[in-house]
Amino acid sequence: MELTAQADAGSASLTGAKFNFAPGDPAGEWHSPAKDYANTRYSTLNQIDTGNVSKLRIAWTFSDGTEGGHEAAPLVVDNTMYVVTPFPDVLYALDLTKTGEPIKWTFKPNPSPMAKGKACCDSVNRGVTYIDGKLIYNLLDDHTVAVDAKTGKEVWRTKMGNVETGETMTMAPFAVGKEVFVGNSGGEMGAWGWIAALDVVTGKELWRAYSTGSDQQVRIGSDFKPFYEQFKGKDLGISTWPAGMWRHGAGTVWTWVSYDPELNLIYYGTSNPSPRVPDQRPGDNLWTSTIFARDAKTGMARWAYQTTPHDRWDYDGVNENILLDLPIDGTMRKALVHFDRNAYAYTIDRTSGEVLRASPFAYQNWSTGFDMKTGRPIVNADKEPHPDVKLMNVCPPDLGGKDWEPAAASPRTGLVYASIFNLCMDLTDNKVGYIPSTPYDGMNIRRFPAPGGNLGEFMAWNPATGKKVWSVKENYMTMSGVLATAGDVVFYGTADGWFRGVDARSGKVLLSQKLGSGIIGQPTTFLGPDHRQYIAISSGIGGAATIRADIDAVKPSGFPAGGNTLYIFSIGGDSITADANQSTR
Amino acid sequence: MKTSVGASWVMGITLGLLLTNACRHSEGGSATTPPVAGFPATTAITAAPLGQVAGASGNVQAFSITNPFEKNPQAIEQGKQLYIKMNCAGCHAYNGKGNMGPDLTDTYWRYGGLPVEIYKSIEEGRPQGMAAWGAALPPEDIWKLVAYIESFGGSVSAKDYEHARQGDQPGEQVAPEVAEQKP
Repeated sequence: MELTAQADAGSASLTGAKFNFAPGDPAGEWHSPAKDYANTRYSTLNQIDTGNVSKLRIAWTFSDGTEGGHEAAPLVVDNTMYVVTPFPDVLYALDLTKTGEPIKWTFKPNPSPMAKGKACCDSVNRGVTYIDGKLIYNLLDDHTVAVDAKTGKEVWRTKMGNVETGETMTMAPFAVGKEVFVGNSGGEMGAWGWIAALDVVTGKELWRAYSTGSDQQVRIGSDFKPFYEQFKGKDLGISTWPAGMWRHGAGTVWTWVSYDPELNLIYYGTSNPSPRVPDQRPGDNLWTSTIFARDAKTGMARWAYQTTPHDRWDYDGVNENILLDLPIDGTMRKALVHFDRNAYAYTIDRTSGEVLRASPFAYQNWSTGFDMKTGRPIVNADKEPHPDVKLMNVCPPDLGGKDWEPAAASPRTGLVYASIFNLCMDLTDNKVGYIPSTPYDGMNIRRFPAPGGNLGEFMAWNPATGKKVWSVKENYMTMSGVLATAGDVVFYGTADGWFRGVDARSGKVLLSQKLGSGIIGQPTTFLGPDHRQYIAISSGIGGAATIRADIDAVKPSGFPAGGNTLYIFSIGGDSITADANQSTR
Repeated sequence: MKTSVGASWVMGITLGLLLTNACRHSEGGSATTPPVAGFPATTAITAAPLGQVAGASGNVQAFSITNPFEKNPQAIEQGKQLYIKMNCAGCHAYNGKGNMGPDLTDTYWRYGGLPVEIYKSIEEGRPQGMAAWGAALPPEDIWKLVAYIESFGGSVSAKDYEHARQGDQPGEQVAPEVAEQKP
C-alpha cells in the first residue's frame, strides 16, 4: 500500500464537475448497476462517512452456490434485494423486511449448458436492471429475459443470438423509459457485434445496430456527424477491412450504456476486432474499439470515435462512458469520461465526439503520444505484433490498463474513481482461420507486472485536466466496480479479497475487510427498512482476473479460491430485524 | 438471430476450407513414422464407454487402447501445429493450462484422461462448448492431437486407468497465499 499523492483535503469540488441525477431513483434504492443514466454510481446517502467507515462490519451474507466470477451489482427496490449469479444465471429476490433476509423467490432461467464453454472470459453476468416492475437481464446463451419483480415469474424471453456461433451475452441491460438496450459478447469468437433496443413491455426488438458492415447495418445515416475525418465516408464498416472480414470482425457490445436525456443520445463502446491477429486484417477495422453516440429512439448513429484504430492488442473500446459537465479551459462542456483499455483516459465532448483530453492513466508503451489534431494515438512501431514473432514487454496487455469494471464519480469532489491495472505482456501472434464453434483468437500471451511490481491500483482522476490526483497501489489486480458516496467514502475490492473504503479526497484507506474470495463485483448501497445505510458487495473471483491461470504474476500459487458470497455491511454490523418493518422511507 | 441464414452459409464454406486444410496438412509436411500396428479400429474406440459399465467392475478392454503416436516426437510436433491451427489453443491456452476450456495438463479429466477417452472427447465433442472434430479431422490427426496433449504430462496412461478412476494418486501441496498487509 502506498499513496502516490495527496489531494487538498478541503471540502470543495476539485473540478467543478456536475452531472444529471436522472432518472432520479429513490436515494435509498439501487435500480440499475450504474445507478443513474450518467453512469456515476454515486449515492447521496451519507450515514456512512469518513468518520465512521472504519466501523463497518458484516451485517449478513448470502451464498448462491455457483462457480465463476461474481461481477454483478446487487439491486434494491421496494425493500427487496435482487442478486443474479454467474451461469446458470439464477436470479434471487431477498426479503429485506424479514429477519435473516430470506429468499422471497428464485427464478431459474435454464440457459443452455453449451454457453458455459463459449464465453471467453468466464461465465459471468454483469447484472440486472429494474424497470417498470420488471427485472431485465441477459442469459449467457443469448436470451434476454424479463421477470416480474413481485412474483419472480418470466414475463418475456427474447432470443437475441445463436450460442453455437460463439456469441454470448454478459452485459447488464440498460433501460430508458420503454426501451431496454442490450448487446452481445464474443469478440474472441469471431462474433458480429451489435447493440439492440427491445420494448420493455413485450421484449420485441425495436432496432439493432451492428458494429461492422454497411452504413445501413451500422445504422449510419444523414444525421451522422463524426468530429474527425477518418470517420467520414461511405460504408467504412466494410471498406476499412479486407474483403468480407468485417462479417466476423466482432465489435461486440459487452459492457455499459449511458444516456443523456437532454440530447436523447445513448453512449457505449465496441470491442476489439476479430481475429485478434492484426496482420490478418489490414485497415482501421471500423467500427471496432469505438465509442458510439446514437439516438436512443431510432438507434441512428450521431457520432463515433475509434479509440484504438486497427486494434493490435485486444484493447477494445467497451469501457463505461460517464457523463459529466465539466469546465474545460474556462468553458463548461457536456463531456463524457472514458478510461479505455488502451490505458488512455479520454474526456470527450459528448455532443460532437471531439476529444478534449487524452492522457495515459496506467503504464503503457504501445503509443508514443496522442495527436489532438487528428484524434489518433501515435503508435509505437516497436510494439506492433507480427505472426510468429515473439514481441517482448508490450504494455498494457490484452486486459488493458483497466477492464470492464466501472468507475464512479462524485459531484462533491468532482473526481472520477477507478480500479485499474499495472500489467504488461509478452506476445506472439499466430495466424488463425475462422472455424465456427471455436475461438478466432491467435494471441499467445504471457502477462506480468508493469514497473512497480504491483498488479492493481485504485485511483482518483481529474477529468477536467486529465491528471491523476492520488492512487492506492495493490499487489493483486483491482477488477471491481467502484461506489462513490456523499459520505466522501469510495469503495472497491481487490482480486485477493480485500474490500476497502477510501477517503474520496485524500485517498487514505479507512476500511479494509478481507472477504471469503476475491472481489470483482460492483459495490452498491441502500437504506434498509430500518433507515440504516448498508453497503453490498459480492465476493467470488473469476472473470479475466484469473484467466490464463498459468501466469504466476496474475494468479500466484495460493491465490484465493473461488466463492459465491454476497456481503452486506453496516456500521457495527447491525442488521435488519423484523420489528423495523413498519418504518417507511 | 436475424442473420442465421447468412451465418450457416459462411459456416459451410469455412468448414469446407477447414477440411481441405486438414487433409492437406495430413498429407504434407515431414513424414511421420507410421504406427506399427496401424490405428485402433473404430469399433474398438466406440466400445469405450464414457461411464462405468453398469453391473460390471474391473477391466474394460477398450480402455487399454494406446495411442499409436504416443511419444512420437514428429507426431507431437504435428499435433502441436494442429492444436494451434484448429483453434484448440483459443480455449485450452497455448500451454494447455486452460481458460475457456479445461486445463489439459492436470490430472482432473471430466470425460476421462486415457488416450482413448481424450480421442473420443475430440472426436465427439462435449456438451459444454467442446466442438466435435470427427467430421473435420481424420483419425490420424486426432491421434496426433492426443499425442500432443499426452506430452503435457497430465493425462493417464492406458495401463493406469484403474488407478486413475479410483483416485489412487498422490495429493499435491500448493504454496501459501502471499500475505498482503492491511493499511
